Amino acid sequence: MLYLVVPLVIGISFGYLLRERRKVNLGKVSLGVIIVLIFSLGFGIGSNGPLLRSLPEVGLDAVMILVFVLGFSVVLVWAAMKLVRWND
Amino acid sequence: MIKYIVSALVLGIVVGYLNSNWGSVDAGFWVSDYVFNGALIVLLFVMGLVFGLDKESVSKMRKTGLKILVIPLAVALGSILGGTVSALVLGLDVVKTMTVTAGYGWYTLAGPLVGQLFGAQWGALGFVVNFLRELLTIVTISLTVKIDKYAPIALGGATTMDTTLPVIVRYCGSDSLIAAFSSGFTLSMAAPFTIMAIAALG
Repeated sequence: MLYLVVPLVIGISFGYLLRERRKVNLGKVSLGVIIVLIFSLGFGIGSNGPLLRSLPEVGLDAVMILVFVLGFSVVLVWAAMKLVRWND
Repeated sequence: MIKYIVSALVLGIVVGYLNSNWGSVDAGFWVSDYVFNGALIVLLFVMGLVFGLDKESVSKMRKTGLKILVIPLAVALGSILGGTVSALVLGLDVVKTMTVTAGYGWYTLAGPLVGQLFGAQWGALGFVVNFLRELLTIVTISLTVKIDKYAPIALGGATTMDTTLPVIVRYCGSDSLIAAFSSGFTLSMAAPFTIMAIAALG
C-alpha cells in the first residue's frame, strides 16, 4: 500500500511548497484521469468471471445485507463526527 | 459529471467482459493492472497537490487532527453491526455474515478469504456484497453527498483509499482527502484481521 501513500505525500509537499505561486486549476485534468481509472476498474470487474457468475445467485441477499451495512455505517459516522465537533 | 463516471464504468465492464471471453489475456492484464495503477498514482499526486495548495484544507486538517480516526472506527462498527442485523432479518448465519461485511468493500480480499473459511457459497456472497458496496459508492455519490459530507466515506469503506477516492474528493471537496484516504487505509489494514477474528468466533 506504500505505493499509494508515496505519490499522495509528494503531491501534498509540492502543493505546500508552491502555495505562494499562482493558483493551478487541475479540475479538468483530474476528471480525465478519473474516467480512465473508472474505466479500468470496470474492465477488471468485467474480466472477473467468478464475480459475474455469482451475481445472480447471491445478488438479492447481498443487496439486503448492504442496505443494513450502509445504513449503520452512515449513521455511526454521522454520530461520531457530531460527537467530535461537539467536543471541540 | 456522474453520467461520465457511470458511462465509463459500464463501458469498462462491457469491454472487460468481451475481452475476457474473446480478447487477449495480456491486454486485459495491461488495462486492469498497469492502466489502473498508473491512473491511480497520477490522481493521488494531483489530489495531494490540490490539497497542499489549498490553505483552508490544511488548516481544517490540523484542527481535526487524530480525531479523524473515529471515521474508520465508526465504519467498521457500522459494517459489522449491519452484518449482524441483516443476518437476523434474513435468517442467515450471523458470524459468517459478519465476516462478509467486515470486508468493508474490499471484494478481492473478502471473496477469496471468506470462501476459504466457509466455502464457495459464502465466498460468492463476500465477493458480491463488497463489490456492490464499491459500485454503489460511485454510482450514488451525487445523492449521498447531500445526506452528509462524510456519508460517501462511510459508504466507501476500505475503497476510499484508492478506487472511490478521486470521485469522493471531486464531490466532497479537497478537504475530505485526508479523512477519506486515512479511513480507507485504516480499514484496508483492518479488514483481513477483523475477518479472521470474527471467523474465530464461529
